[in-house]
Amino acid sequence: MTMDATLSTHLQELRRGTVVVASLTVLREPGYGYSLLETLSAAGFEVEANTLYPLLRRLEAQGLLTSSWNTDEARPRKFYRTTEQGDAIAAALRDEWTRLDKAVTDLDTPAGTVSGSDA
Amino acid sequence: MTTLIDRYVYTVLRRVPEQQRTDIDRELRTSIEDAVEARVSGGAPPDTALQQTLLELGDPDRLADGYADRKQYLIGPDLFPIWQRLLTMLLTVVLPIVVVIAVVIQVLDDPAVGPIIGAAVSSAITVGAHLAFWATLVVAVLERTGVTRSALRGGTRREWSLDDLPRYEPRAIALSELVAGVLWPVLLIAGLVLQQFTFTDVPVLNPDNWTFWWPYLIVVLTLEALYTVWLYRRGSWSRAVTAANAALAVLTTVPLVWLLAEEKFFNPAWVSTQDWGSTADPLSWLTGIVLVTAIVGALYDVIDVAVKTERARRGVHTPVPGTGAEYTNPI
Repeated sequence: MTMDATLSTHLQELRRGTVVVASLTVLREPGYGYSLLETLSAAGFEVEANTLYPLLRRLEAQGLLTSSWNTDEARPRKFYRTTEQGDAIAAALRDEWTRLDKAVTDLDTPAGTVSGSDA
Repeated sequence: MTTLIDRYVYTVLRRVPEQQRTDIDRELRTSIEDAVEARVSGGAPPDTALQQTLLELGDPDRLADGYADRKQYLIGPDLFPIWQRLLTMLLTVVLPIVVVIAVVIQVLDDPAVGPIIGAAVSSAITVGAHLAFWATLVVAVLERTGVTRSALRGGTRREWSLDDLPRYEPRAIALSELVAGVLWPVLLIAGLVLQQFTFTDVPVLNPDNWTFWWPYLIVVLTLEALYTVWLYRRGSWSRAVTAANAALAVLTTVPLVWLLAEEKFFNPAWVSTQDWGSTADPLSWLTGIVLVTAIVGALYDVIDVAVKTERARRGVHTPVPGTGAEYTNPI
């Protein structure tokens, strides 16, 4: 495996859960599939349509999102909204993200007491 | 005429559970149209915009698998070790036994080289394929019914604990050797008794010996089984073990050799009922084969135990099976 392939595997591992946090956070304001895709990619999340659309239905099945069809416009759209439970889970996930970010930062900038590497 | 969108959506819906189809149909179409619209307003020609959108959505089968949330593997990492162990056991233990039985049946039926090799190869392939298929099917079904490894291990939902670690303590014989050492005499005794009534019209072995020698053999074979249990519980080799083993070997082999040499072992009536082909003197052939087997087997057993005892006495390191590590077997 080349360096690039290795990196992209690890990046993929690292990003796996982030789309869930981002979606649950964005959808506190109701949104539909394509709008969410636009919002996420504008915010810097590399997410593809073919993973996002099935994910939304999965989160709905888990009770973290609710949905309703809006037929007021010319094109009927399925709007998703984060439930109370979804919001609580998103909050817990964001806390964990913050904790991990701090932990990684602490490891990366060792304080005086932390013993350095062998090199 | 079906449009490109229709073709794409229908292909996705084909692999999606029926009750979700209407909903996904509508939602997916809207999403595609939204994306196309965005590209068109960005200046792309409508045809190109549609093609690019669909290309970006990618393989419709994969999208459908995402919607259906189904497992895209036969056996997952949780059950894989169990499947692997099961398959290894079946192919290394069960398969050889079945092949040997098939060969023995073929030998009894028609002892020619061609058919024997044929029986071995065809039974190995057929039975091997069956074992692999059924083992895989069973584990794949378990995977899909949500059975976990811990449920399989304990019956109850028991987690792995330190008690599950093998002990790797120096033992004279392993549990498998204990089982074999008890099972073998039991099978021999069963064979000895059953051949009198079943298998063949007339008994294979001389019925006259039921007055003394066959009961005597049953007793000695029982002692062999008891010896194995004693050795297992004792846990180490010693000169007493060597002596007991050698004594048992003598008690078994000497009467056997004498019976064979005096031609009192096989039932003459049985020998005469068999079609031996062109073999001039079948009894002496049979006697010779059994005689050599009995003597070589007994000598090997006596020497094997003596060598193991001597190694243990000198504190020679004994490898722990499957680890590459060694332990000293104290006496």
